[in-house]
Amino acid sequence: MSDAQTKVQVTINGKQIHVPSTLSVIQALWNAGYPRVQGVGCLEGVCGSCRVLVRRVDTDEISMEMGCQTLVEEGMEVMFLVFPSPSQHSYSLEQIPNSWEVQAEFHKIFPEAQQCRSCHGCTTSCPKDIDVEKGVELAVKGRFKEAGDLFIECVMCDLCMTGCPEQIAPNHVGLFARRVTAYFHARPSNLINRLEKIRTGALQVIKETP
Amino acid sequence: MSQDDLTGISYQQAIKSYRTAAERPLPPAEIDNKKLLNSFHPDYIEECLTTLKVGTNNGDPCHKELAEVLQSDSRINEADLAGAATVETDVLVIGGGGAGCAAALIAQQQGAKVILATKLRLGDSNTVMAEGGIQASINKDDSPQFHYNDTLSAGHQQSDPDLVSQLVLDGPDVIRWLIQHGMQFDMDEFGDLLTRRAGGTSADRICFYRDYTGLEMMRVLRESVHNSNIDVWDYSPTVELLGDDQGGCSGAVISSLKHRKYIQISAKAVIVATGGIGRMHLNGFPTSNHFGATGDGLVLAYRMGAKLRDLDSFQYHPTGLAYPFHLAGSLITEGVRSCGTYLLNGNGERFVDELSTRDIVAAAIIRECREGRGIVTEDGHQGVWLDTPGLEARQPGILQQRFPKLMHLGEKAEINPTKTPLLIYPTLHYQNGGVVINEDCETSIPGLFCTGEVTGGIHGRNRLMGNALLEIISFGRKAGTAAAKRRKGKRSSQLSIEHLNKLRRELTNAEISLDLQGPILFPEYAKFDLDSDYVGLHRNRKQSA
Repeated sequence: MSDAQTKVQVTINGKQIHVPSTLSVIQALWNAGYPRVQGVGCLEGVCGSCRVLVRRVDTDEISMEMGCQTLVEEGMEVMFLVFPSPSQHSYSLEQIPNSWEVQAEFHKIFPEAQQCRSCHGCTTSCPKDIDVEKGVELAVKGRFKEAGDLFIECVMCDLCMTGCPEQIAPNHVGLFARRVTAYFHARPSNLINRLEKIRTGALQVIKETP
Repeated sequence: MSQDDLTGISYQQAIKSYRTAAERPLPPAEIDNKKLLNSFHPDYIEECLTTLKVGTNNGDPCHKELAEVLQSDSRINEADLAGAATVETDVLVIGGGGAGCAAALIAQQQGAKVILATKLRLGDSNTVMAEGGIQASINKDDSPQFHYNDTLSAGHQQSDPDLVSQLVLDGPDVIRWLIQHGMQFDMDEFGDLLTRRAGGTSADRICFYRDYTGLEMMRVLRESVHNSNIDVWDYSPTVELLGDDQGGCSGAVISSLKHRKYIQISAKAVIVATGGIGRMHLNGFPTSNHFGATGDGLVLAYRMGAKLRDLDSFQYHPTGLAYPFHLAGSLITEGVRSCGTYLLNGNGERFVDELSTRDIVAAAIIRECREGRGIVTEDGHQGVWLDTPGLEARQPGILQQRFPKLMHLGEKAEINPTKTPLLIYPTLHYQNGGVVINEDCETSIPGLFCTGEVTGGIHGRNRLMGNALLEIISFGRKAGTAAAKRRKGKRSSQLSIEHLNKLRRELTNAEISLDLQGPILFPEYAKFDLDSDYVGLHRNRKQSA
């Protein structure tokens, strides 16, 4: 690293640090010599661990982001969030007798979902720009395939849970919508065909001797 | 990899001279793959290798940095365990990735009481980052036999035939099991599974969900585990396995980062599913691996006396992002190459058949860079082009449709992959070797099972894309079944760390310093061992200068 590199002043968890501008928030903490273990995960933005509150200079707006994906900027203030307790909703796919019953079961499992007051708290807090609120609305109407497709990029960071005053657990609603779609409707004939051939012994493996 | 002697074409210069072209000629075939590997693949650099001096693999070749932790002192001694609470379970699963979750779900389903202890959170793992897909031979022009042949051939015929045979025959059932847990796969208009081809294979065999296959798999499995009776202990790295008086494994010592103390778990079976070693940054390479991938399971199992294999064989994934710096090491899925994307050197020429196996492609990229045809950035990194604009020119719209994660990465990097090629360089990706297991994931130690990347034998000396996701579910399920069978057996009354005394004697006899303590748990730059939050867990730690 050459000295000529641009450096910026940022505040992370109340600590003022001076670091190269090419670093993520987590790299910045490490670079400045501070330990950081909790909240660090995949470092590629897909595990949802490193949840941070960010305020940029010249604005009062606070955004929720993934620390490993957030580049430091001059004057930025960052606070790591602790992880929330897991969702209180519990279900197993096997408890749904058949695909006609999904909507009824959904409302038993997620009774709060229809209380959504459209406050946009979930959508605003999503670091992946998912239209979370729309997803909940679709799931409430039983449109699970459509709802689930909105959550393709969801990393289960639970920030929408934090942002929801009705404790809907919107990401778990989205995941439920995705799971029932596969569980009840994915019946690939090429897979089923192959399973049958293996089951009957029509396809076997002859091992080479190494 | 000294950065002072990087020669090549500057990034700015190379960007300026780059022109999008749909077609470019294939280079002449590699004359001698063996020579290419010997000259340029990091596994073959002799200074990086050493010979193990203690333990079951005494005399075997091993990567130097890995040998250091395999032959390190324990983090704990008897004093740390005085007063440590003991918790009883039937099955203890160590690791919360795909393999650990699959094992825990099956063991619990079979009636065992299960604790799953994981270093960070459930699902914090390499599984969640896997993009390419999962292999299962389901097409009519494919067969388990072809899958078997491809796996052995890619692994340079060093794989265990029994393990591979079981793996390939289980492939289709693994996909069914995942669908039954609610995992989605990309399908065609008739609802059939779409497949694509992995480098070095003879048929389209990769099932996938966009370039989020691992994410989709992990969030579904995590939800299944949370909705079960499995007792999940997060922020609970395992620092040692416990032994009984019969030479078996009877549990483990957990360091609870939440409660800042040690806890002993007594178990009738222990399943180690701790994953790989990328965060050891072997040979100074960047890594595509999760923060927690520090080889803990290898160290724990080796101390108990389990046999390891292929400790000098690692996979460097050809397409790790090399620029910009804050995203360096991030993986670009092999799916992009398997769709036909070219690799270009700084002169805009293709230099390898992009669909060769990963070790060949990685070695060829390193060759281009070392011979001055690579591209060098201002901050001292190097690489070659992944020619995504060329792919887009041949198949307009494909990047957005099939590779949303790549496009998202492009946004963060402020590079539009449809217009500008991405700078890539091999990134440390996978540990090919590991603990020796049989078809039921048993090790040579009674009561100790291993599954997933921590094991060796399936991939030989080079892994095919999509075989890791298949392995973790296939062998995770086997481990869960086999471990659950032990629930009816007698619980060992002994929870001992006597094996550490033997380790220390052997280390001393071999004149190996006891300064390093393992497993390392977290990469050095996270400074865990200096973190004052965890002072109770560091009591016995020697502070390095």
